[in-house]
Amino acid sequence: MGIGRDDHQWSQRHLSHYVEGDLRVRPRHRLDRHARDCVDCWRGIRAMRALVYAAQGLDGLAGVRAPATIFDRLRPAGASGSPSPRGA
Amino acid sequence: MTPRPGRGAFGPGQSAATEASLIARAQAGDVAAFEQLSGAYADRLFMLLLRLLGDRGEAEDVAQEVMLRAWQGISRFQGRSSYFTWLYRIAVNEANRALEKRARRPAGVPIGERELQLPTSPADDPLRQAEANELRVALGRAIAELPPPLRVAIVLRDVEGLSTQEAAEIAGIGQAAFKSRLHQARLRVRAAIGDEALVTAGG
Repeated sequence: MGIGRDDHQWSQRHLSHYVEGDLRVRPRHRLDRHARDCVDCWRGIRAMRALVYAAQGLDGLAGVRAPATIFDRLRPAGASGSPSPRGA
Repeated sequence: MTPRPGRGAFGPGQSAATEASLIARAQAGDVAAFEQLSGAYADRLFMLLLRLLGDRGEAEDVAQEVMLRAWQGISRFQGRSSYFTWLYRIAVNEANRALEKRARRPAGVPIGERELQLPTSPADDPLRQAEANELRVALGRAIAELPPPLRVAIVLRDVEGLSTQEAAEIAGIGQAAFKSRLHQARLRVRAAIGDEALVTAGG
């Protein structure tokens, strides 16, 4: 079965939408149908899922802590115990 | 994708009341209350700045500026969004300001590779651990090389795990515009890393 060039380009552009669940029923079926016959798009779906999964793994990195100096600039302004009345 | 819960250091049952009390005290000028309130998010906020700026020294400088601006503006916080969202929005604005100031040097990746690694399960075999670590490093680099608006989108949504609504609010744009940036960011990162590496390491 031939692979429609339009479907292929469209699918490649919408892999993130697909993984995110942003496609409505008909576009989703369009991509599903195309990916059944297209190795590149089938791999693209797996790759996009792996990307999102790996990105989630970047969160909560071990050993990274805010510097102890993070509140240092409050000292001069905050020494009186009162924030600026009008703010920054 | 389901947003990951639990961002602050306030435990269940005490979170809302504790935070509301700290906000009220901070707005009355209690700097210690402000530090306790904002300190609950400090590590995560610093990690966000590291991701957006790609430079530890600059992230430290901007983190201090974020806290100063939050302190100076706490009297204007009206609770229309969560305190976390408000603080993160200041952080993204300050990061954007720093990126605009920065000379056109590459978005760097002075973040040490060790910082990009997660603890791995002892059950994982060494080859898979190595592949996964390589992917994390490549992913960190690819994200660092994105234009700032796309970097903000992928960091807030995928790395931080925020909902689209919350991430868009922090980025200061509508949800549709945010989604557009997110999809562009993912396509660029995918192109930078390559399907083979993603699929192999992703399993």
